Amino acid sequence: MAHLYRLSVVLVLTVLGVPDVQAQPMNTASQGGSVDPRPSREGLDLFERKIRPALVQNCFKCHSGDPAKAKGNLVLDSRDGLRKGGISGPAIEPGHPEKSLLIEALKHEGLEMPPSGKLPDEVLESFESWVQMGAPDPRAGKAANPRNTIDMAAAKRYWGFQRPRFVPAPAVLNAQWPISDIDRHILAKLEQQGLRPVPDADRTTLIRRLTFDLIGLPPTPQEIDAFVNDPSTEAVAKVVDRLLGAPQFGERWGRHWLDVVRFAESTGKELNLPYRFAWRYRNYVIDAFNNDKPFDKFIVEQIAGDLLPAKTEAERNELLVATGFLALGPKSAVTRDPEQFKLDVIDDQIDVTGRAFLGLTIACARCHDHKFDPIPTTDYYALAGIFNSTDTLAGIKPGRRVATAQRLLPLAGTSAEVKLSTADSSKEAERQQQIAKIQQQISNLQKQQRAGKQRPAMPNAGMKQQLLRQASAMQQNLQRGAVRQQIKGLEDRLDELEGATTGSGNLAIGVRDADTPTNARVLVRGELKEKGPVVPRGVPTVLQTVMTSHMNPRSSGRFQLANWIADKNNPLTYRVMANRVWANLFGRGLVDTVDNFGALGNEPSHPELLDALALQLAEQNGSIKALIRSIVLSRVYQLSSTHDAHNYEKDPENQYHWRMSRRRLDAEEIRDAMLMVSGQLALERPEGSPVMHLTNLPVGRGGKEMQEVRRPSNVRSVYLPMLRGLVPEMLGTFDMADPNLIVGKRDVTTVPTQALFLMNNPFVLNQSRETAKRILGQQGLSQNGRIELAYRLAVGRPPTEPEHAEATNFLASFRKAFEEANQAGNPQVAAWASFCQVLFQSGLFRYVY
Amino acid sequence: MSQGSGPLNSRRQFLKRTSCGFGLLALADLANRAAAAETTSPLAPRAPHFRARARHVIFMYMGGGPSHVDTFDYKPRLQADDGKFQGAKNQGQKFLKSPFKFEQHGQSGLWMPEIFPRLAKHADDLCLLNSMHTDVAVHGSATTQLHTGNFRFPRPSMGAWTVYGLGTENTDLPGFISFNGAGGTTNYASSFLPASFQGTRIDSSAGGRNGNVANIQNPRLAADLQRKQLDLLGKFHEQQLAHDQVNPELEGLIESYELAFRMQGAVPLVMDLASETQATLDAYGIGETGTDNFGRQCLLARKFVEAGVRFIELGKGDWDQHNNLKAKLKANAHAIDRPIAALLNDLKQRGLLQDTLLVWGGEFGRTPAAQNGDGRNHNNQGFSMWMAGGGTKGGYVHGSTDEHGLRAVEKKMHINDLHATMLYLLGLDHEKLNYRYSGRDFRLTDLAGVVAKDVVA
Repeated sequence: MAHLYRLSVVLVLTVLGVPDVQAQPMNTASQGGSVDPRPSREGLDLFERKIRPALVQNCFKCHSGDPAKAKGNLVLDSRDGLRKGGISGPAIEPGHPEKSLLIEALKHEGLEMPPSGKLPDEVLESFESWVQMGAPDPRAGKAANPRNTIDMAAAKRYWGFQRPRFVPAPAVLNAQWPISDIDRHILAKLEQQGLRPVPDADRTTLIRRLTFDLIGLPPTPQEIDAFVNDPSTEAVAKVVDRLLGAPQFGERWGRHWLDVVRFAESTGKELNLPYRFAWRYRNYVIDAFNNDKPFDKFIVEQIAGDLLPAKTEAERNELLVATGFLALGPKSAVTRDPEQFKLDVIDDQIDVTGRAFLGLTIACARCHDHKFDPIPTTDYYALAGIFNSTDTLAGIKPGRRVATAQRLLPLAGTSAEVKLSTADSSKEAERQQQIAKIQQQISNLQKQQRAGKQRPAMPNAGMKQQLLRQASAMQQNLQRGAVRQQIKGLEDRLDELEGATTGSGNLAIGVRDADTPTNARVLVRGELKEKGPVVPRGVPTVLQTVMTSHMNPRSSGRFQLANWIADKNNPLTYRVMANRVWANLFGRGLVDTVDNFGALGNEPSHPELLDALALQLAEQNGSIKALIRSIVLSRVYQLSSTHDAHNYEKDPENQYHWRMSRRRLDAEEIRDAMLMVSGQLALERPEGSPVMHLTNLPVGRGGKEMQEVRRPSNVRSVYLPMLRGLVPEMLGTFDMADPNLIVGKRDVTTVPTQALFLMNNPFVLNQSRETAKRILGQQGLSQNGRIELAYRLAVGRPPTEPEHAEATNFLASFRKAFEEANQAGNPQVAAWASFCQVLFQSGLFRYVY
Repeated sequence: MSQGSGPLNSRRQFLKRTSCGFGLLALADLANRAAAAETTSPLAPRAPHFRARARHVIFMYMGGGPSHVDTFDYKPRLQADDGKFQGAKNQGQKFLKSPFKFEQHGQSGLWMPEIFPRLAKHADDLCLLNSMHTDVAVHGSATTQLHTGNFRFPRPSMGAWTVYGLGTENTDLPGFISFNGAGGTTNYASSFLPASFQGTRIDSSAGGRNGNVANIQNPRLAADLQRKQLDLLGKFHEQQLAHDQVNPELEGLIESYELAFRMQGAVPLVMDLASETQATLDAYGIGETGTDNFGRQCLLARKFVEAGVRFIELGKGDWDQHNNLKAKLKANAHAIDRPIAALLNDLKQRGLLQDTLLVWGGEFGRTPAAQNGDGRNHNNQGFSMWMAGGGTKGGYVHGSTDEHGLRAVEKKMHINDLHATMLYLLGLDHEKLNYRYSGRDFRLTDLAGVVAKDVVA
């Protein structure tokens, strides 16, 4: 059935040049396909004014798109199509209307086209003169080749759509080297390629790598010493287990996930309204990683937590908060049409669900069948039906210029976490009552409006009746205007009330099932006005034989969708996540395009290893921690990053893992590590987010409230307010993921603005000074001891001899120059602060080796 | 370049040691052309592929999609058909004529609306591109396509490609500057090109001597003390590079600190408008509410061109006239009319216009039909941009739309064609300016692009 729908969509989709639609996606640039060398101006004018509209309106329904499917294999939507013709031969002979089949058919001499009736004579004449002129036709593009309707049987053979297979780890020549099967998979490839793994990393390097990779912070000198001096064979495992157990683990790995799910605390786009309670989802994610929530459970909760049973109030709240995943995407609140608004929200939900969990760009199929992957438009609308049957409660109403607490999920209970920021005064209750009252009034007026639009039918109306009707219409118009005015006034009042103060805090952003599930209609070219057939709710066709999913007719189908994604047999889900974990530890995934496992993505460099990791994740209780543990305990993870000319020549990008790739600290790590080194880092989780104290008004760049959001804070970066378009300066400068996008792999840029930040920004200057004070404050340390401490704190190892000498010289000469320049401040502190700043600027600090 | 001789020397040694040492130079095309320059800096000037007409680009991005039928694409038929249905059989939307009077200007007799009185005096400098078209009519995607050639995936911006192709002439300044970061980072990013080619965002509106570029001055340390810091940093990096043996990223990092240090001296000098006469400031409309913002950008663009910056992007948003077309367009035109006229004058007087390619335009145009009564909807199938200077034909109209201005019909120019033409004027062959990434060669025009030779003087 779905197949049939697809065919009809394809036909309409390929119609080119519908006159009333200006927004038209085209897939090729102007060249490609032949165009008349120099069609005359008049000829083209004629074509545009008469011929094209006539073709579009009368012929394209049967004669466009795929010639193989068009009636008589004739398509008229391209220059070539007309000239090539269909089974009866060329449709036109340029210059000779009398010999042209098209003209014959239009005149109903022989063939009769269009079958519904002859076109007006005027149009026929235009066609004749046009053919006479040589049929000038500016349309680029060849007649569509028989379109590759998606061949599902072939598509299913794609590696990504087949279930992971367990392949025993291969035999290797250097059997001494591997310590786990991961190593055997890696080494086998290395040996095949004629590459040799470099030596292992030393322990100081390894503990810095482990600590940043697992908790996003540098190791302390004590931790380094303990590890370096630990004679146990379990020393590495002990460090790993300590780090996996630390609450900072969730803050680092939760942040990776927040990148993928485009987490932010405002809508972005034109108005940028705040999501005042999105922080609950952020905390949910961090806690999930800390508690090692089984990955399948993590999936189901985020897509359908509201539909799961809960034993306690706390659990119920947690499950509701998890669905924030679907609600916190970017939204265009200025979109007045509720249907359009909803479609855009659905598109975001399909996009994030498809890419985060399946590595599939399903959202590409909104307007046309996916160009590269076997995802027909009908699959898109099958998923759209699921989200169409879902209410998204993000506190945003289409067309309203303020956020509203009315469209959020209420949480239950009285725990501190839930009650946070609740303003329970009687004033607040009164305000809420007023809001509810006004909303009721608006809703009543809107009902009145709708009723007014349905005019009584007046068949066979005479003159008098017509006049009467006109009069009554005028009156109705007047009334309608008055109602509109009234609604507008009430809405303004509502905006005022909701924008005024902080509403109560026992709310969350998330979703729930709509009252009645409704399948979606295909929208041709994604256009709201061009509704196609209804598609039953469901999951992507290409994966249907692998596992089936049955939609419950009485619910949205989100629960089924969630379980289908989380199913251990889903060929993509566990591969995608295992690959994300690998990429976060090695700097590149086994599939380098971590968010795209489709045809445009890269093939896995180590398919058997990817499958082994995916199977481990699926079968060992969905434990992310266990997966990380087994990877970091492998020998390949513990390699040094040493250069090797022979290997480098063959594999400069290190895709075969002959060494550990050096990694640049990311934005949060740079900031958090500076705070940690200076001793200023506040490790406790802050209460909620500064964003929850904002009003419901659009977030701007100024204002008293924004000062609160911007206030310097020493909490970990993951807890900084994350408003779209207003990402904290430091994080933005160092390539933080743009929260408008799904980012499985961040950019790594090197621009002078980053250097300027580390040279001149007050935050860096302050942390450098705090670090200096911390070091100078150590009693009983010699200058040499202090230099060593600075190094150990900032870069995780003692200085080399030349470094030590340079540092000593610098401290002396800087101090002297500082004194001579009569700069204000303590010369000793200034010299040390400058030195510590250089350490923060250095590649030693900014890279993990 | 005198600074950092240590790292530069060692970099050269590394290059000798391994052919893959510096990703950039592994590319035959660039390597051949850079060899003559005898330097390894990715920003060093490089010879073009063939004779360059232009050496600098000033790209004026008009965000939102300016209406072409009300600005540079005069449509008498649209004026005549005002209020008529667009579709056959009285269907579809109704045409909306332009609320502005058009007149012919200059020797060339270019049609211009009354809202550009000063720019109209430069009619003979303008090369109108009246047959532009682009793939989509959505702001974000179309803006990305205008800047990168592609609307689907993040790709290097045209400014990044330009600096990649030609390097820059002033080593104290970035080769590619984007005022106010028009349309977000993807539009001035280097994407897969090396980091040095990324656009540097500068805020033009802050005013004042140093308030323009974030963190451009150290609030505590005098320059000589900071130089001491950077010397120490240089020594550390030298040792680190020796330790790592090959580390192109660290080389980029070293480069970024040195450029940043030089920028601290150079940027405030260029951005300081105090050295300009009051007459100049007035000419650009600086200090007047309506024109100050764009006037400042235009004057700064001239100064950055003088200073040798390769590619500068300016911006003026708010061209998305879904309603209230007349008033808003008038205000927009006012905001840019005087500044652009002043810029053209200024460049001409200084003999810079012949070397500087000006490109003006938005991500798409607007419909000849009305929307919301007095507005127009997005239109990607036909719109106008214009070029001036840099070896383009002045007083010339390239291509056309149909009689109402809905679709480009004659000498159609896709964004890829625009890019091909811009690169051609810069002396670069768009089919040769390649970068290998992810297993294949990429270029700004990807697999398309035809140079519009007609626009070349």
